[in-house]
Amino acid sequence: MILRTLARYSGGRPWVAELITLVVLLLCPVVLPLFGVTADIASRILIWGLFGLGFDILFGYTGLLSFGQAAFFGTGGFVSAFLLTQTGLQNDVFLGLVIGTVAAMAAGVVVGFFTLRRSGIYFAMITLAFAEMFHFLELSPLSQWTGGENGLTGVPMPIVGLESWHIQISSGWSLYGYIAAFFFVGYVVAHRIVLSPFGQVLTALRDNTPRALATGHSVRKYKLAAFVIAAGYGGLAGGLLGVLQSYMPPDAVAFHTSGQLVMQSIIGGAGTLFGPLVGAALWLGLQNYLQDVPAIASAWMLILGVVFVVLITLFRQGILGAVKQLFTKSASPSEPHESELTVELTRRQHIAGVPDEHPNQDEIPDHYLRADTPAKTRGLIIVPKGESADGAALACRNLTKHYGGIYANEGIDMSIPEGQLRGIIGPNGAGKSTFFKMLAGEVVPTEGHVFLHGADITGLGVTAVSQLGMSKSYQINELFSKLTVAQNLAIPVLARLRGEFRPDMLRSLDKVAGLHGQIEATLELVNLEQRADVPVTELAYGEKRRLEIGLALANAPNVLLLDEPLAGMSPRERADTVQLLKQIRAGRTLVVVEHDMDAMFELAEYISVLQEGRLLAEGTPEEIKNDQRVQDAYLGGMEEV
Amino acid sequence: MSLLEIENINSYYGDSHVLFDLSMHVDEHEVVALLGRNGAGKSTTLKSLMGAVKPQDGVIRFDGKDIRGLPPYEIAQLGMQLVPEERRIFGSLNVEENLQLAALRAPNAWTLDKIYDYFPRLKERRRSRGTDLSGGEQQMLAIARALIRDARMILLDEPFEGLAPIIVQDLLGVARQLAEEGRTFIIVEQNVAAALSVAQRVYIINNGHVVYEGTPADLHAKPEIMHEYLGV
Amino acid sequence: MSMPSLPLFLSQLFNGLATGLLLSLISAGLTIIYGTLGVLNLAHGALFMVGAYAGFLALQWTGSFVLAIIGGMIGALVVGLLMERVIVRYYYQRPPEDQILVTFGIGIVITELVRLVFGGIAKPVPVPSWGQGITKLGSLIYPTYRIEMMAIIAVALLGLYVLLYRTRIGMIVRAGIEDSLMVNMLGINVYRVFLLVFGVGAMTAGFAGILNAPILAVTPDMGESFLVMSFVVIVIGGVGSFPGAIVGGIIAGEIISLTSMFSSAYSHVMLFAIMAVLLAVRPQGLFGIEGRE
Repeated sequence: MILRTLARYSGGRPWVAELITLVVLLLCPVVLPLFGVTADIASRILIWGLFGLGFDILFGYTGLLSFGQAAFFGTGGFVSAFLLTQTGLQNDVFLGLVIGTVAAMAAGVVVGFFTLRRSGIYFAMITLAFAEMFHFLELSPLSQWTGGENGLTGVPMPIVGLESWHIQISSGWSLYGYIAAFFFVGYVVAHRIVLSPFGQVLTALRDNTPRALATGHSVRKYKLAAFVIAAGYGGLAGGLLGVLQSYMPPDAVAFHTSGQLVMQSIIGGAGTLFGPLVGAALWLGLQNYLQDVPAIASAWMLILGVVFVVLITLFRQGILGAVKQLFTKSASPSEPHESELTVELTRRQHIAGVPDEHPNQDEIPDHYLRADTPAKTRGLIIVPKGESADGAALACRNLTKHYGGIYANEGIDMSIPEGQLRGIIGPNGAGKSTFFKMLAGEVVPTEGHVFLHGADITGLGVTAVSQLGMSKSYQINELFSKLTVAQNLAIPVLARLRGEFRPDMLRSLDKVAGLHGQIEATLELVNLEQRADVPVTELAYGEKRRLEIGLALANAPNVLLLDEPLAGMSPRERADTVQLLKQIRAGRTLVVVEHDMDAMFELAEYISVLQEGRLLAEGTPEEIKNDQRVQDAYLGGMEEV
Repeated sequence: MSLLEIENINSYYGDSHVLFDLSMHVDEHEVVALLGRNGAGKSTTLKSLMGAVKPQDGVIRFDGKDIRGLPPYEIAQLGMQLVPEERRIFGSLNVEENLQLAALRAPNAWTLDKIYDYFPRLKERRRSRGTDLSGGEQQMLAIARALIRDARMILLDEPFEGLAPIIVQDLLGVARQLAEEGRTFIIVEQNVAAALSVAQRVYIINNGHVVYEGTPADLHAKPEIMHEYLGV
Repeated sequence: MSMPSLPLFLSQLFNGLATGLLLSLISAGLTIIYGTLGVLNLAHGALFMVGAYAGFLALQWTGSFVLAIIGGMIGALVVGLLMERVIVRYYYQRPPEDQILVTFGIGIVITELVRLVFGGIAKPVPVPSWGQGITKLGSLIYPTYRIEMMAIIAVALLGLYVLLYRTRIGMIVRAGIEDSLMVNMLGINVYRVFLLVFGVGAMTAGFAGILNAPILAVTPDMGESFLVMSFVVIVIGGVGSFPGAIVGGIIAGEIISLTSMFSSAYSHVMLFAIMAVLLAVRPQGLFGIEGRE
């Protein structure tokens, strides 16, 4: 029960985990000596645990594997130590630590600027390189401040208290208490960060970066923020190491410090906040207590290495991760969902010949806003749109794209009026997907412009476009696969309510006004209310498709681009989705690319046909059906052969 | 027994179910066209045959042997060869090196001269790097790579896409010549007319299901089917 | 800061070439593995070290430095092949971060095993008899072995070049760096190619390790600094590019060497600074392909 509480990071009562942590920390000086654990070891474990809190946010939650955290550990440590030994700051250890932490965060901004341009393996490689640069800086050019190979000695013990009444901390359990206080605060902060809207975005980022970007979040800024946070934790931990040892060692900036952090975090379990602490306990435990067994005393590092390799191969989630899995039950068995019932009704309507051209307005629930209703009333938001001279919701002029000598699109002019459902069709190779990507802001056109409600959005990128009120739903599902349905929908809503970046790290997710309302409204629209807490991995394909559309809707767009929404669907699911699309039309402009001609002709008011990268024809469905050029385009120009 | 037999395979594009219980067969020396509007399903079929994409279930029998789940290089060794939609020419190698590479692990490789007979243009450009070739030349090279392996069955994935009509005519000429010589191939094509001019049998796939099987002549006699599934 | 004299400049230029060539060799192996398999082998430094120790053993047993070199190569090759077959090849379908973590872990295991078996004290690998003494090159006076080492490395790099650009297998590897799936579809067993590439990369690292042993103390941790340096070389030269590794290595060696004329403290830092600038301005490196990570 306790472990489940600690393990569940989806809101609820965060203070429970924090209280338990506090109690355990307070009990340690009493309990640990019974096991032969010294105060020094306990303090070291906490320092590495603190270091790991920041690293876990960076790696466990945001997915950025950095092999260079030693740079910040060292920066914080040496700045603090320098201030405390070489300047007049001797008596204010706290201030020294704070300045060291700030210095580490500043270093984080600089290093992050260079390294975050890349991702994955390359990112790991260059963080390692930058950390080595810091190492070299510490050893040589800056040695008059850092003590070079000797490090800095004489770091004072802290004095806690005010002018009249104070405690002189000394090594042993009182110093443990000082360090534990920092760890506790650090944990509470990290815990809140992870539970905050900011933290949710980080998780989404790790899960599906392109989708997080397209949903309206500035991925670059979030990554940098996470990187700086990790640097700060590292700097504080480094400073505390200096205090613990009364000495700041040069190997704090060495590669093996970064390596040790990574190993401890993976062994303990990434993404659990306490993983690095557990890993540190194992590491320091083996290092110190294996000494008593002379035969393998020097093999502790080898054992750790083997454990590390075995864990990555077999238990990638680490010790705490494995424990967490044991205690968390999987989602409740799926209940029969409503979609089958809905499909039956619509098929019957089809068979009975009920015309679908003008959907019965009475059936649309009144919380689907219309174009003229101001935003942010109850129900699903639709972003109010700007003024456009010719009333076009989405337009493009001379849109062209070529890659080297190959032209994907050439000179396309198109204008889609407010509230229309426009279909885009064309044979394969017609350049539909490139064209669509240019409209969505994913691809920058070689020539030409795209206008959203009259505003030129060419080259702004998907994040800005999303914030301006246009969203896209993808042909292949781009979901946040590690989250539940409701958590998925939270991501675009958070972008809508908070803008492209907001460091609201200590805010509770529940405090975001309108979040739950928007998620509820979207769930209702795409018929997934019953499945709100189901992990994406357990959804049926049709449900995933609906969630895909839901993600685009939750952004509150007034222009919605849908790329082959019916892709891969069974006939039942197709009919279902066609109805859904009709329902979401209200108050929005829809642009749909599709190959399913029946569906397209049922849905679209107006159709544009592309061929070989150019616009071939435009017209109502009837006009297009009867257009010989269009027939030829599809059937390949019989006369030529 | 057909050279290639596919029974009830289901294929996925991402987690999009693009082929539903697809069954078809190709006999030796046949040219079969796979037509249909949606690109994903047909292309995925060919990639499944080549092992580049793993079909989820069903049976794929090539020359009597079950090949589902085999790695691509083993399938290539058995005589199946995919000419991918993106062509995938090795840009850092020249034309001749591309051909030599393809011939390396081929039991009955053609000589370079024989290939150049079919594609004189490639002979002119033999020393040009892959990145310097035009679209049509790249397509020729891609097909030549399959030919030099003396493949028993060639899978052509949208060979005419993005090419000028004159190049399409050239390639069609080569295709017809190969068909006359008894080469077996499956052609997936958007250009219906071109495909029908060289195929002996046609399958039409719509929304992931086979909806028609017949000869080009049959299809020409039923224009409404063409319009329904291929047109607009 | 006075202007350095010409003899000093030439001497440092030569030094830089010596360091640079060694870096080129080590980085060449690393970049080919990264380019072909997509795996950043963090155990590369450990393989360099294994070469030195295997060479040391061979030297002990036979007394011949030439046999020591061969022994070093074989030792690193065996360890590298074992690594690939037993663990790494199961990681090709796993996320890149997992691949880099497991090679990191294996590197630690290898290093610790060596430490356990041989201890932490440096093992002596003396300069071979044919490398003793000094040589005069014009006005430069240089240790003979270092000159010979440069020549040997140059020959090795030439050998790698011939392997990559003049043999069939090299053609397969180069095609595989570009598009390993297509190579697969052309009937070539790419997994055997991966094994080969990994082996050649490991052997190259081991060769460099034993060759460098008379100059640098042979300890279990000797490979670590070279590992990081080779990352910098790859960033400068471009991932998967053999010419990039060579040019990048020489540039790196020269930057360190020439900077030390002015300020020995900043010599390495300068290299990292230039790497940072390149990252900002031309992220794919000098010879790299854009968009390749």
